[in-house]
Amino acid sequence: MMSARLKLIPFALILSVVAAGAAVAAGQVEPPQSTSQTPAQSAPPSPGPAIGLADSAGLRATVFGTPPQDMAVLPAKVPLSEINAELPWRLPVPQVLWFDAKLRVWLSAQDKPAPLAIVISGTGSDGNTKTISVLRAALYGAGYHVLTMPSPTSPAFIVSASSTGVAGDLMRDGKDLYAAMQEIIAHLPRKVRVTDIDLVGYSLGGAHAAIVKSIDATEHKLKIHRVVMINPPVSLFSSVGRLDRLFAAAIGPGDQAVELLYRRLYAQIANLYRASDRLELDENFLLGAGAATLKTDAEFSAAIALTFRLQLVDMFFIGDLYGKTGVVTDPAHPPKVSDSLEGIQRDLRAKPFADYFARVFAPYYLKRRPDATSASLIASNRLDIITDTLRNDGDYYAQTTSNDLILNKSELAWLQDTLSARIVVYDHGGHLGEIGDRQQVADMLDMLSGSWPRSTQ
Amino acid sequence: MRAAVLAALLAALLDGCASQVLSIRTVPDQTPAADNAAAAANAAAFADAVAAESANSSAQEAQDAPPLLTPADAPSMYTYDPWERLNRFTYRFNARFDEAIFLPVADTYRRAPAPIRAGIHNFFGNLAEIDSVINYTLQWRLKYGWRSFTRLAINSTIGIGGLFDVATKLKLPGTPTGFATTLAKWGMHPGPYLVIPLLGPSTLRDGVGFLGDYGAEYGINVAGLYRGNVSWGVGTVNAIDQRANINFRYYSGGSPFEYETIRFLYVRRRLIEDEGLHPKEPVKKTADEVPAGK
Repeated sequence: MMSARLKLIPFALILSVVAAGAAVAAGQVEPPQSTSQTPAQSAPPSPGPAIGLADSAGLRATVFGTPPQDMAVLPAKVPLSEINAELPWRLPVPQVLWFDAKLRVWLSAQDKPAPLAIVISGTGSDGNTKTISVLRAALYGAGYHVLTMPSPTSPAFIVSASSTGVAGDLMRDGKDLYAAMQEIIAHLPRKVRVTDIDLVGYSLGGAHAAIVKSIDATEHKLKIHRVVMINPPVSLFSSVGRLDRLFAAAIGPGDQAVELLYRRLYAQIANLYRASDRLELDENFLLGAGAATLKTDAEFSAAIALTFRLQLVDMFFIGDLYGKTGVVTDPAHPPKVSDSLEGIQRDLRAKPFADYFARVFAPYYLKRRPDATSASLIASNRLDIITDTLRNDGDYYAQTTSNDLILNKSELAWLQDTLSARIVVYDHGGHLGEIGDRQQVADMLDMLSGSWPRSTQ
Repeated sequence: MRAAVLAALLAALLDGCASQVLSIRTVPDQTPAADNAAAAANAAAFADAVAAESANSSAQEAQDAPPLLTPADAPSMYTYDPWERLNRFTYRFNARFDEAIFLPVADTYRRAPAPIRAGIHNFFGNLAEIDSVINYTLQWRLKYGWRSFTRLAINSTIGIGGLFDVATKLKLPGTPTGFATTLAKWGMHPGPYLVIPLLGPSTLRDGVGFLGDYGAEYGINVAGLYRGNVSWGVGTVNAIDQRANINFRYYSGGSPFEYETIRFLYVRRRLIEDEGLHPKEPVKKTADEVPAGK
């Protein structure tokens, strides 16, 4: 009798996945080649806006992830504990963010002494995403304790663990992340016996992992051993700028463009549903609808750009609230639990990262760093602030792809030059779409265990 | 019975240890190998679904194609939510209740042996079939009503009181329906968005539909399960079974806009399902300034 209604929630979330364009989401499958021969798809794909190093295959891999048949062998069972941490340096929690007061991380512990791999999520993401689950399974299967953490740019981290509330500064966020790691590791149950600590980070989390290790190299609090960065950015703001341009090109400027995209998606899904003779809008239907809806490069680009933009909206709102910069919130009268946030969300959907930088991030940091300029803030958010370390310390590794939309040619070349033999560049996967495939997992484990490069190479 | 329920809730709450800084809670094991195998198995079904959708739509085009929706027909991005202040408080209450009680209890329940949980799930699914028979009939979709009736008959007998879903194995899968869908079929709009305590997102129409379903169950009172002291136990186990089968966590991504997102998706999903109930009729077109659901 209870909760016939509750059942609707997960389906709603799946719709969000389609609508927000992560489509069938990582972990689901790309339609087999045979289906691409159906009449509906026989027209040549329109050349959508390529960005960074992205090509058609890269955009699709970014949305769909590794096909299950290419997935590395994963363990049958991975134990999991959820850890909620109350951190002493947490800033006062705004009323509308009451649910983010504790930092939530996830631990999969071996029952014998083992090295600990800490996995750091990508932009805006929590510590238990699908990508994280794949990495966790691979690492746990290889004998690591695995601790997975949200990105310092995710709402929950900003509220529970940030010392600023204004996310996006590589070094400041790295220090907060490092402090949170210490706090959690110091309070782990005694039965979790850690022999060594390594870091794995993907996307922006890759850059965070490298920065955290470089901080640890001077502070020695954790004695972090090796780091593997997966699809890291080189210049944070250049990468984000590429996603903004992707949004402008694939969706258009402003919230009217988002509304047009929504109307198109709604009509397409409703028409498919009306024609389908189904009794409910369930997961299987949406799998089909997702594939039928996303076809061209432009549509995949729109999906990727919108997913990113929705994460930016969260970070923008929270930054504005903490920084008291007054872009969408009134610093004197912050919103309350009962207030609608729809107008704010709508305003922010239309705003690119450049606006966050100019109206929240830069004002906040320029006020606190008298010597800084906008240019110096941008320059300090590049991986090359630790060039020498990356070049000379043999414990930094990277995995990336030749069609990652967040990099351009010179940035990829810089990574290759700096890390030389300690980077591997795959010819497929786009952004994160190679995570979990046999080669990626085997290489990552070799890097973490110090047996890279393999003697045969 | 009530005491037993409370004791179970307390036990679940105390499960897991807490230190000053960290609280640690064991959650169900992940099963990556099986998940990936399932994903691989879905690949074929997925391709079939895509092929079926396109075959279906081209066949439909040839015959009496239902009028197509255009982007201009899509409902507003705004949702009709005149009771928003109250709804937001209820949403927060639901999130807190879920975090403190419902979810920990469901996680504990998930550690019970899978065959037992499947039996319980099938049992309640079979009971719900009664309501489906009634409502498919009220919706005058007799084909599905007959299917639900057959399922009920098979599973209640061969399936030993509903513990085994034999009908699905006989290629007779079920799709439950309820009074909310009946009201929709009769032409009622979703109306104001409504967050129901403990149950979650709904609309006025769907809330009334829920009461109708409950009233039917109470009235029929199959095997005396829905009245008196035993109904507490039955209702609680049913609720825990439902929760344990829902992969949703309030605020798992921490987004400040979760209320807006869930409201948007819930109402759009119901509106699309409403369209599907009247596939041959022209699209209900509403003016752009009318919020969705009104």
